[in-house]
Amino acid sequence: MTAISERQQRGYIGAIAAEARVNVELETEGMTLNIGPQHPATHGTLRIIAKLDGEQVVSAEPVMGYMHRGYEKLVEVRTFPQVTTLINRIDWLGNFANEVPFILAAEQLMEIEAPARAQYIRTIFFELSRQANLMLFLGDMGVQLGAITAVFYAFRDREHVLNLMESVTGGRFHPNFDRIGGLKDDLPKGWVEECKGAMVKVRRFCDEIEELLMGNEIFETRTRGIGVIPAEVALGYGLSGANLRASGVDWDLRRDNDYPLAWKDADFKVWTHPDGDSFARYWVRLQEVRESTKIVDQLIENIPAGPIMAKVPRIIKVPAGEAWVSTENPLGEMGYYVVSKGDLGPFRVKIRTASFNNISIVPWVMRGVYVPDVITILASLYFILGDIDR
Amino acid sequence: MPEIPGVLKGLGVTFRTMLKPAVTVQYPRVKEQPATRARGVIALKEENCTVCMLCARQCPDWCIYIEGHKTKAPPRREGGKPRTVQLLDRFDIDYSLCMYCGICVEVCPFDALFWSPEFEYSEPRIADLLHDKDKLGEWFETVPDYEPYEVGSQAKVKKVPR
Repeated sequence: MTAISERQQRGYIGAIAAEARVNVELETEGMTLNIGPQHPATHGTLRIIAKLDGEQVVSAEPVMGYMHRGYEKLVEVRTFPQVTTLINRIDWLGNFANEVPFILAAEQLMEIEAPARAQYIRTIFFELSRQANLMLFLGDMGVQLGAITAVFYAFRDREHVLNLMESVTGGRFHPNFDRIGGLKDDLPKGWVEECKGAMVKVRRFCDEIEELLMGNEIFETRTRGIGVIPAEVALGYGLSGANLRASGVDWDLRRDNDYPLAWKDADFKVWTHPDGDSFARYWVRLQEVRESTKIVDQLIENIPAGPIMAKVPRIIKVPAGEAWVSTENPLGEMGYYVVSKGDLGPFRVKIRTASFNNISIVPWVMRGVYVPDVITILASLYFILGDIDR
Repeated sequence: MPEIPGVLKGLGVTFRTMLKPAVTVQYPRVKEQPATRARGVIALKEENCTVCMLCARQCPDWCIYIEGHKTKAPPRREGGKPRTVQLLDRFDIDYSLCMYCGICVEVCPFDALFWSPEFEYSEPRIADLLHDKDKLGEWFETVPDYEPYEVGSQAKVKKVPR
């Protein structure tokens, strides 16, 4: 019997294997999987290029910009009062919260402060938009994991909050209610009572979703220990908001910064979770909605009487200067760096949005996870496409 | 107490929901009334407009088109000079561009523009969404009165000039 070379032998086995379509050496070939830009599990047009080895992700790279609308450039050709109507649409779920940091920056440059009543109503609406935003997350996380009921419940109960916004501002999604120096209009009669009732309903929704979704075994198995982000990594990537608090960092701009807003008069707890996994991020946001209803309940009891508008010239010209104001938005830290040259409109506006930084951790956190967990992690990081691309 | 499995809990919710009435309404047959302040459509009171162009200038996406001309009106008192008044020839709002921000309504110094909660004006063609002053005048009929304010407010309730 003639001895065959190793190379021949391999070729021989290879031929049999090709026939049987089995890779004998088990050297699987890498595969590139495009998740998005159009995908049911993304809330918009985010594309993730995932390189897979079997079921495991070797590397994942988010591609942004499919929905870039050029806000920073658009606001340069608009006057200060016109800007708020545009920036409503950055994070379309936390609509009112987008306006506040910009208006605060403009007020800082003009050296005026809104009256106390306007500050209170601003804070209340800030919190309402936080609830509207995070309630959708609470349901949406369920639908990403296959529990469809949760998202219907979220849409149903979110309507209470949106109705509150509509009856005051006139818009469900784009309130455009904040003005430099105060607010556009005052509260209509009977709104305070309505708001108290809605807060009870929001809290009931939180209890319901906690019992139904968070207590579910499948939900826990799919989220616990998935996508763990340690505190130092989270800080290093510039995460903010609930994503950071879920990693155990006690950080909240509402409490830490001093704004001309009414958070300092409210007593609230900043919830953190030591785990840093997807479950922790969900849990922190659930607690945040509850805290938010408590803030509204406290503030609405003692809205001071008075005007809602400070003395502002009819044609608003912001004096030359630069100002940076960032607030704790539903998604995290959102800030505006406004440069004015004394004209009717801003010279340059830099917008810092939370989702952009939150999504930048995707390549780090997705190494070595399984494909179904990609969806869990994306859902739990919670981004709004408009907030990433703006 | 033993844990109830998630499946049974979920089925319990299904059963409870089955006994409850639906929260949605069947839209074309049943209609929900939007809030009084809802920004549905912009209505125009033509007599109040003085063609000052403030709204067209302040609009963030410039979707208001105005044309007008000057004319002589009879004097207010007998023996006086005839007055010069501005007459509106064209007042079009392109609702395919409008962002419903409400800046035009806010800056109008003569109370000619109002918000109406009317929302059923969709068109099959996008070009048909350009509405002229007659159509905007029809919507003025649907403008509701301003609501009274909450306790503690110092704002004055304005009146809609009917």
